[in-house]
Amino acid sequence: MSDEQILNATAPADLSVYVPEKVRKPGEIGFALLGIIFGLLGYYFALDMTHDSYSAPSVFPKIASTIIVLCGLVSLVKAIKREAPAAGETAFGYLLPKDVIVMLVMLLVYCFALPILHFPLASYAFMVIGMIYLHGGKKIIQSFIYSGIALAALVAVFRYVFLVILP
Amino acid sequence: MMNNLQYFLIPFLDWHIMGLLWGGVLAGIWVGAIPGLSGTMAVSLLISFTFSWELNNALAVMCGVFVGAVYGGAITAILLNIPGAPAAIATGMDGYPLAKKGLAGKAIGLCTTVSFFASMVGVVTLAVAAPIIANFALKFSPRDFFLLAAMGILLIGSIGGGDPVKGIMAGVVGILISMVGMDPSTGELRYTFGNLNLMAGISFVTAMIGLFGVSEALTQFRDSRAKSPKQDLTKIMPDWTTFKKYLPLALRSSAIGVFIGALPGTGGDVAALLAYDQAKRTIRHPETPFGQGALEGIVAPETANKGAIGGAFIPMLTLGIPGDAITAIMIGALFIHGLRPGPMLMIETPHLFWMIVSMLTISSVALFVLGLLSVRPFSKIIEIPKSIIMPVVIILSVIGTYAIQNSVTDVFYMIGFGALGYFMRLYGYPTGPMVLGIILGPLLDSNYRRAMQGAENEIAQFIAGFFTSPISLFLTLAIAFMLFSQTKTYRKLRGID
Repeated sequence: MSDEQILNATAPADLSVYVPEKVRKPGEIGFALLGIIFGLLGYYFALDMTHDSYSAPSVFPKIASTIIVLCGLVSLVKAIKREAPAAGETAFGYLLPKDVIVMLVMLLVYCFALPILHFPLASYAFMVIGMIYLHGGKKIIQSFIYSGIALAALVAVFRYVFLVILP
Repeated sequence: MMNNLQYFLIPFLDWHIMGLLWGGVLAGIWVGAIPGLSGTMAVSLLISFTFSWELNNALAVMCGVFVGAVYGGAITAILLNIPGAPAAIATGMDGYPLAKKGLAGKAIGLCTTVSFFASMVGVVTLAVAAPIIANFALKFSPRDFFLLAAMGILLIGSIGGGDPVKGIMAGVVGILISMVGMDPSTGELRYTFGNLNLMAGISFVTAMIGLFGVSEALTQFRDSRAKSPKQDLTKIMPDWTTFKKYLPLALRSSAIGVFIGALPGTGGDVAALLAYDQAKRTIRHPETPFGQGALEGIVAPETANKGAIGGAFIPMLTLGIPGDAITAIMIGALFIHGLRPGPMLMIETPHLFWMIVSMLTISSVALFVLGLLSVRPFSKIIEIPKSIIMPVVIILSVIGTYAIQNSVTDVFYMIGFGALGYFMRLYGYPTGPMVLGIILGPLLDSNYRRAMQGAENEIAQFIAGFFTSPISLFLTLAIAFMLFSQTKTYRKLRGID
């Protein structure tokens, strides 16, 4: 395959690239509304800051909050104008498929466990369970081995080479 | 002249210094590649155990780490879409799509080659034109820095990659987040809500790791059973035709890098973004569109951030003013060794200047060799199945975030940014502008306020200032051009698709 062919080959969908679509994504209106609320709260709390001159600490927060509200309104109007998503598609189902929920919950549990179990044990458990889950309950022994190797490498590099304090 | 040449040649003939330089570059590449570990952190660590060393040896290892770390940031940006350092944010925009097409080797190979070239441009400029550039950089007023930051904010349109409104919104949310904490000018608390953890503000590295690293991992979990792309490693080193094709862009971007690097307070991150934007605006027909794997999107930021290395040394060695965070630490190292960086440094200790030029030259060569040797092992990382690599990426993100200030709270912020970034991606809000906003927000805010105070809080006087100073006028015109270049009229005139 030539470079040209490879370059033009279809790449997996890159979710970071915005592609205008006719149909609205589930929950898009809600997300735009959250943006507007964020901007309004930003402005509200900026009112408590000193605002006695054009160089006061509140100037930039107020300008930024106003721009956020305006952009949020434009995004909201654009989203409303698009076709509604197919019936039965919910924002929750679109945003959080099972694998994402499981990994997010695991990540939160891992972070809460870090101060209790400390880095080596908590991280090893996270990697082993994560790998076994993502392998669909298979490759259990490999998951233990790979996690062990990864943990040893991470501890060696960070703790002993770069002298970084681990959680 | 002969004396200067002698000083320049010393590191080439001293195997001890040579070993430290190569070792430093190798360590720097790995430090730079790991998100959360920065060149700044590595060089500051080095101070603690090199203060008893001979000055030349200490400087050698620091120069090596500096050059290697700036390069290393691009590796994880290309392979995993997690920039190892802010200077590599723009590199990931086109590098990662290339890796997803199985062209990580080609991307890193090109990145290494142009990095060597740009690094040499920076070093040569440092050797030849240091005093001239340093004196010019000193003429920048707070108003000019404000305009420079405003130029940076205008890059949102370039790096947004889609709906400009969503790009602007993400960028401005980033600016608002950067306001959290104690105001450096007045000490007033902004958006802290009585929380002590928020008083120091939110580190942009925490946000960067969350918005890029964790959100990428979460996005990958949507399709975790998909196979990782097989990487084509047959042609890593770009041929002469390819290099020649990108040479003008590399030269332009290196020049941007040297100049931005020489400005105190700005560094490779701003330079890389400005160069990426400049490339996107001026290249009419890239082989692949920007954001989808354009090689120009790797050449521009990578040459700019390497050019900024030489640039950052210019004010440091000629005026005693650091060009960026790492040179600030190196000034500290010089003080520890009994030297006083400043205008007299080049007169009293010219050997030091020429030895640093020499060390940066050797580091650039080491970067080229070690970088090319690292392409294959690095590229193999992306072939590891997602089910194995993604949990490790998350642990890496946690360590990197914790390492900033040894705080578990930062880890929770990072997860929050990760979740936010994941939702933003799904709804087409780009994450790059938000990080840009967090980085440039303080520069914009503080310099605006200083400039406004300089204009005695009079708006008319503040605006008039844009047209009375030559530098401000040039920057104002550049901003006007940037705005004009986004219009359909300009694109029609230039024949850009």
